[in-house]
Amino acid sequence: MVPVRATFEKRRRAKYISHLDLMRCMQRAFRRAGVPIWFTEGFNPHAYLMFPLALSLGYESGCECMDFRIDGDMPMEEAMERLNRVLPPDLQLKSVAAPVRKHTDIAFADYAVVLDCADGTPAEALRRAWDAFIAQPQILVEKKTKRGTAEVDVKEKAQIMETETLESGIRLQLRMPAGTSVNVNPGLLTDAFAVWLPAHEPDVRMGMMHAERLAILCEDGTPFV
Amino acid sequence: MNLFEKIEPLLLRVQKPARYIGGEPGSIMKDKSQIKARFAFCFPDRYDVGMSHLGMKVLYAVINKRPEYWCERVFAPDTDFEALMREQKLPLYALESLEPVRDFDFIGFTLQYELCYTNILNMLDLAGVPVMQRDRGESIAPIVCAGGSCACNPEPLADFIDMFFIGEGEELDLEVMDLYVKMRDAGATRSEFLKAAAQIQGVYVPSLYDVSYNEDGTVKAVTPRDGAPAVVKKRIIENFDACPAPDSFVVPFSEIVHDRAVTEVLRGCLRGCRFCQAGFLYRPFREKTPETICEHSKKLIDNTGYEELSLCSLSTSDHSRIEEMMDGLLTFTENEHINLSLPSLRVDNFSTGLMNRLRRVRSSGLTFAPEAGTQRMRDVINKNVTEEELMRTCRIAFNAGQTSVKLYFMMGLPTETDEDIRGIIELAQRVVDMYYEMNQRPKGKPVQISCSIATFVPKPFTPFEFHPQDTREMIAHKQKVLEEAVAGHKRIRASWHFPDTSILEAVLAKGDRRLCAVIYSAWKRGCIFDAWSEHFRYDLWLEAFAEAGLNVEFYANRPRSYDEVFPWDHIDYYVDKAFLIRENEKAKQAQTTKHCRLSCAGCGVTKVTGHPCFDYTQTSES
Repeated sequence: MVPVRATFEKRRRAKYISHLDLMRCMQRAFRRAGVPIWFTEGFNPHAYLMFPLALSLGYESGCECMDFRIDGDMPMEEAMERLNRVLPPDLQLKSVAAPVRKHTDIAFADYAVVLDCADGTPAEALRRAWDAFIAQPQILVEKKTKRGTAEVDVKEKAQIMETETLESGIRLQLRMPAGTSVNVNPGLLTDAFAVWLPAHEPDVRMGMMHAERLAILCEDGTPFV
Repeated sequence: MNLFEKIEPLLLRVQKPARYIGGEPGSIMKDKSQIKARFAFCFPDRYDVGMSHLGMKVLYAVINKRPEYWCERVFAPDTDFEALMREQKLPLYALESLEPVRDFDFIGFTLQYELCYTNILNMLDLAGVPVMQRDRGESIAPIVCAGGSCACNPEPLADFIDMFFIGEGEELDLEVMDLYVKMRDAGATRSEFLKAAAQIQGVYVPSLYDVSYNEDGTVKAVTPRDGAPAVVKKRIIENFDACPAPDSFVVPFSEIVHDRAVTEVLRGCLRGCRFCQAGFLYRPFREKTPETICEHSKKLIDNTGYEELSLCSLSTSDHSRIEEMMDGLLTFTENEHINLSLPSLRVDNFSTGLMNRLRRVRSSGLTFAPEAGTQRMRDVINKNVTEEELMRTCRIAFNAGQTSVKLYFMMGLPTETDEDIRGIIELAQRVVDMYYEMNQRPKGKPVQISCSIATFVPKPFTPFEFHPQDTREMIAHKQKVLEEAVAGHKRIRASWHFPDTSILEAVLAKGDRRLCAVIYSAWKRGCIFDAWSEHFRYDLWLEAFAEAGLNVEFYANRPRSYDEVFPWDHIDYYVDKAFLIRENEKAKQAQTTKHCRLSCAGCGVTKVTGHPCFDYTQTSES
């Protein structure tokens, strides 16, 4: 039995596969690919697949991660090739390797977030609004947790690595807490901005948000995979 | 024109966005520049319902097998997405190319249920295609077509559809597409093409027929024009075992109603239950061999990666080699962790051998359909099932550790009395009593019998097509009888619905062309998704009837005489009216008819196939 940690990308149409659906999709892909995945034992055996960090619906990523075990002597490179042949073009494996770090080592994730201008808003105006928004001492948002909702200062949680003015929008690079215990979605910050905007800068209009996960990182800032 | 950029900003604003973006494994992408004709296969209901439909998968595979044709999938958007589509002027698009449906050569609807009709109008409107056939002009594309079981009475949709496909579509669809390409390339107009297509067997072009009415509102005559055939005969696949079944499916990301691999094991039904339209429409009875079924199932599992395989037919246990088939299927499904499920089992031939095979299949409870509570009533409807057989089957199931059984019944059947209604609960109670009398019953577990009671809808091409449906008041009364009968029976749960949807279903099933105006008006008033109780607006439908000067009772509750011209009489499913009349008369006497394997009842289908459906020279098994 060979434990494998694969990375994969999720783009375009595949962005809209929910986390739960992704699990089912991958399990079926293993069967189509003829990759002998290890099944759990017990009364109701099922293909063992583990995704250490869920990705929000609608987010792109080039660095998603999935663990499985090969039950047989198929080389993991061949498993990757076979899987890529039966997976949609927007959902493809990028690498396979033996797992090194533990899931609990995951501490951060980096995201690129692009906020589009809407209704002819100049990019500079959106940038000024963002700068004013982020200059607030605290940005409190309601966060859904397993035990209801909690108030979180999302500004304190987010590290803003870069802010860039684009032709018709702004681009942010954010480092957010991630992992099995704490997980803060960059959408919390941009949603708060979308609420703040009409109240403070009514002439500035924001369009669609594009988000991409760039990296999954450990406590010391090194990549998880 | 790929609409991805327009679709994407809407997706995170709606429920289950994966339904609207395609890209699923198994979906077929083609290079548009190499394509001669494009077919938008439209299912007039939500994605999760439509994606469960085997007929769509069959025709998707058949058309896409031809390199020069491209068939794509289209479903009715849910109301939240529809609102955004209309607000953002996003036209209805197909899930493979994400291109507008109005640019396709064919827009084809499958008609599985009468209460989807308003969705067809809504989808055409969302596509930007004129809803009325007469407004589509002379440009040949898009041709709006429709097929499926409800096409047996196409008249209520006559004003909206260019052509109907009658019968089995595996060959017919391609013949029509071939003719279309030839004529389009020669510069033909829509009406020229429709006239020529009407000459293909199985094609019905409603605009080529004039309908006249008697003073009492019944149909006087249906008269063809421009050389269209007086009677349109359905298509039948001759060699069913060799008929290619789809060896791959589009495997959805999001959960759908039936999310599994499906193999069709037989087509048609030999039982002749008098209420069952499918049992008459899909004649003759044809089987696939266990070898074909196993080989196909294996391929389908390999290509889809599904963890569950289901067998599809009107009555799976009527397969002449079912145990052999089950053994073959179990051999590979058990090795590969595949669950096998078998819907459509009958109680009269449910053997211990079959049960033992089924025990190896993980099952979530058994479902049987006695359809009626008393033997007299079951004889009337020719459901050749005795109480003994039901008891025996339930005992086998209980012995195998099952503690819940689901039973399906109908109310409002011809000749039905309050006794027959009470008989439903009495029958269920006898199953309960039998459970507690068993020595080997699962210890410490109570039994649960769930009875689901539907309102009967008389359908065309059945012996009950002459029968009026029970009125709303009669059904209300019978539901009350049922409620009183079930009171105090702790181990029995009975469920039923308000009859309004069944009444509308009866009207649309047995209606004529004048109902086009009613459907149009109901849709204009906001009726869509009529099959979903949260959307169903019977009050708006009644307004639409009133506006058209028509009434529900004329269509649903009027007994029809044997010599009346029915709106669907010019459509031929090879089941003779004389046979239907014979069967109806026997029903009135509570006389049964043997199933086709025991003896031929002379329905008429052999006139076309040219040979008996079964070999009666050998001793038949029941």
